[in-house]
Amino acid sequence: MAKYIAKRLVYIVLVFFVASFLMYCLFSLIPSDPARSQLEGLKQSLKPEAYQQMYQQLRERMGLDDPLVVRYARWIGCMPDKQTGELDGVLQGNFGYSLMRQKDCLEVIKTPMANTILLNVFSTILTLLVTIPLGIWCAVHKGRKLDQGVQAFTILGYSLPQYIIALIFIYVFAVLLRWFPVNGAATPGNPYTGLRALLDRLYYMALPMLVALFGALGGMSRYVRASMIEALSMDCIRTARAKGVRERVVIYSHAWRNALLPVVTSIIGWFLSVFSGSVVLENVFGLNGMGSLYIKALNASDAELCLAIQMFYTVVALLGNLITDLAYGIVDPRIRVNR
Amino acid sequence: MGNQKKAPRFSGILKGMFGTGEGNFLEEEALQSPARVTVRSFFSRPTAVFGLVVFVLIFLLVMIGPRYMPIDLGHSDSNLANIAPGCHMMDIPGEMLDEGIADIAAGQTYGVGLSNAGKIYTWGYTRVSNAIDLRDVPEELTTGGVNVRHMAAGNDHAVAIDRDNQFYFWGSNRLNQHMYQSNAELNRALLLGNLEIKQLEAGNQFTALLDTKGNLYLWGNASNADLGCRQSERETEGMDHAPRTFQGNIEKIAVTSNAYVCLLKDGTVAYTGYQKDSPLNANLPAQLQNGSVKVVDIAASSQCAAAVDDTGRVWVWGAGTRGEKDVPEMADHPVKIYGGRYHFTALLQNGGVVSWGDNMYGQAAVPASVQEGQIVNLFCGGYQNYAVTARGEVKTWGLKGFLCGTDEQGRDILSRIVNGGKITMTVGGIAVVIATLIGVILGGAAGYFGGKTDLIISRAAEVIGGMPFLPFALILSAAIPKEVSNTQRMYIIMVVLGALSWVSTFRLVRAQIFSQREQEYVTAAKALGVKESAILRRHILPNVMSVLLVSVTLDFATCMLTESTLSYLGFGITAPTPTWGNMLNTCNDSIVIQQYWWRWVFPAAIFGLCTVCINLIGDGLRDAMDPRSNGR
Repeated sequence: MAKYIAKRLVYIVLVFFVASFLMYCLFSLIPSDPARSQLEGLKQSLKPEAYQQMYQQLRERMGLDDPLVVRYARWIGCMPDKQTGELDGVLQGNFGYSLMRQKDCLEVIKTPMANTILLNVFSTILTLLVTIPLGIWCAVHKGRKLDQGVQAFTILGYSLPQYIIALIFIYVFAVLLRWFPVNGAATPGNPYTGLRALLDRLYYMALPMLVALFGALGGMSRYVRASMIEALSMDCIRTARAKGVRERVVIYSHAWRNALLPVVTSIIGWFLSVFSGSVVLENVFGLNGMGSLYIKALNASDAELCLAIQMFYTVVALLGNLITDLAYGIVDPRIRVNR
Repeated sequence: MGNQKKAPRFSGILKGMFGTGEGNFLEEEALQSPARVTVRSFFSRPTAVFGLVVFVLIFLLVMIGPRYMPIDLGHSDSNLANIAPGCHMMDIPGEMLDEGIADIAAGQTYGVGLSNAGKIYTWGYTRVSNAIDLRDVPEELTTGGVNVRHMAAGNDHAVAIDRDNQFYFWGSNRLNQHMYQSNAELNRALLLGNLEIKQLEAGNQFTALLDTKGNLYLWGNASNADLGCRQSERETEGMDHAPRTFQGNIEKIAVTSNAYVCLLKDGTVAYTGYQKDSPLNANLPAQLQNGSVKVVDIAASSQCAAAVDDTGRVWVWGAGTRGEKDVPEMADHPVKIYGGRYHFTALLQNGGVVSWGDNMYGQAAVPASVQEGQIVNLFCGGYQNYAVTARGEVKTWGLKGFLCGTDEQGRDILSRIVNGGKITMTVGGIAVVIATLIGVILGGAAGYFGGKTDLIISRAAEVIGGMPFLPFALILSAAIPKEVSNTQRMYIIMVVLGALSWVSTFRLVRAQIFSQREQEYVTAAKALGVKESAILRRHILPNVMSVLLVSVTLDFATCMLTESTLSYLGFGITAPTPTWGNMLNTCNDSIVIQQYWWRWVFPAAIFGLCTVCINLIGDGLRDAMDPRSNGR
């Protein structure tokens, strides 16, 4: 197991560097000129030639004209910074400077990151709590009217784009029934602290979470159901039933253990899509999260902030991969031996 | 896919689908080709068939529809913004027709009518805002108890005046359209009790009144309309002809969207407002001012004015750009002229009717029945024309309404759905083709060559597949330079989507090739000395094709979803080009969701239906091809 984990870790680190380099290349495509924006204030007071000269000097000093690989190495923190001569990059915890907010990127993304993680963790828990039992139930009661109803219903979940589900949910639950607020992250100007504040935020997050749940219902519960049906048709299940093992034990111990493997696989893809999917949710519901910040940063061509957010998504994706790999190892003993 | 060992040849598929017509029932049963089994199995599933039929219908609608519903991307019309679905803008109530038509005032999207019984009726899209509706006519007017003499319908307000010079206003009064007391001269005339009204006009945010003595009274939004009639000609501004007096000399006025022109009693036309740079003043033909022609009637569209002189010549001036100045050949002298928002209609001496100008909603297309009928009265305004025949029938032409309503810029939602669907489907389709090509080529190479090639490609796929999709797509489309045209942008989006979504196809193809290579029949074929290329072509490819077909179908839906999500976030295809995604990106607030529901319900419904159907087809195909997956 230790060897397996070590192998995966090395691999993940490698992928991190490749992915971050790719990202860096992409973001260098966004037209953005930190040197020019730093000099913007001086433009009026200087002569054009002097301004041009200063601009070129600053570009030189900031190392903007160096090859892409060198700039990447500086940014990631493997090569010393040109101005300070010290290693000062992502690995050292410096994610760059946001031109849009005039703050360090790390400062800018702190709150949105907490919000996004809160939203996604709660919606993940909620979704797994609902979809797995539902999938198992449907598999066990395959072909019944209720199962067919659920299947028809879940097609909607994976066919409709999330923002349409969100619009419908807002209309029904926020506008017509007035159960939930239309958007926002917390009651404006509330004096709540501690548990009360958390509850207030959860209340505001309820509708986005329901939308995420509805979307996931299609993919996840169908997947659980399919792999459960597969597992229930295995010979060992028939044997277990023949032995007179109780149905509960057959389902939850024998069949579910076997069905878990493909389910864990599908959680990788799903986990990634939850985080990137919250880009849409945060925009629809006006939540101050990474996704809405990302859109704002992209619109403002704030390359360094975008890059920092993108790195967040990448790290989440890689972590998701790692966790799934580890879970794999735990769930399926064969993997530990084979790899 | 284990049951499908034989290559379904094309002729085999055809035979399978249509039958050969020979052989008895038992033979047929025994010799069913896999393709035939698949097709039969597919068509035995009601949900799959439903999906296929509905999808084909939607596909035909969006592919053929744009030919009949061409879209003008630059078009927008604030006057038609946020109109609810319906096609009843010119449906005069039956009771009013029964009572006989005395007068009609055509507003932008509605009409106000006075019947011979003295009752006022409204029809069309009368809603102005959440609280204001032009349908709410003052109650005494609807009973016939008031002797209404004049009435007029403006953009968002309507006016009626009875025989005793009592004023009635309804609709919007936000800009003092109803404050007739604010006009001191009018107050004086009302107090003296000698006001005899000749003409009443309601414009955009203002009201105008002309009395029989030739005096003009205006009130309402002074910032928009140049309210107040100048007493005399602009001597000081260097005009070279003799000063004239306007007040007391006005025969008729014609109201544009924010100004007016006057026909004077001597048969000349004057712009009597204060905005001397107005095209209505600057472009006013000299002949109309100096008395060399005698004008008999004037009318105004939103930006233009038109005049008819006693020789039958039509003069149009102003800033019209929608064909108002393209006066057609007329069979006879026009005697009267009427103006709509972007069109003019003229009544000829022989009773014929001619319309010209913008024909987007058919305002300028006079129906043949009008040409033949004896027209006794003509009412025009907004986008509407009403012609009353001698027998009391009403012929209408112009804007009937919008089946799916309009959006915030007054664009027809139905036409945007049809045209946007074409773009959404094209982008989704081509993106899938690109993704499938990349996936098949790389997957084929990895699966076929194996070893190092496989390792390298698989690792690359893992990196790309491991990155969060939506943020990645967002950054790629944000990197598209701003200067590229919308069409180029569309192509780039297709490529971006294709280049990002090939990973699943790649995995599928690679896994399928690997698993097929291990099968005993392939080993057997090898042992028999069948060539590698033949094995690939006859055994492996067909098996890959069948799973590919399913994945392409499902990926098509996914690509459409992704494109629409990108467009919804404003990073895909951008306005004014419509797609099902970007039609929804202005609908993201509770006011729109609640009050202008048609703006999101229709695009969302058709898009949802479309993706549900594609998924039903994909599921049906998968089940049909793999009997083991039945009911899963």
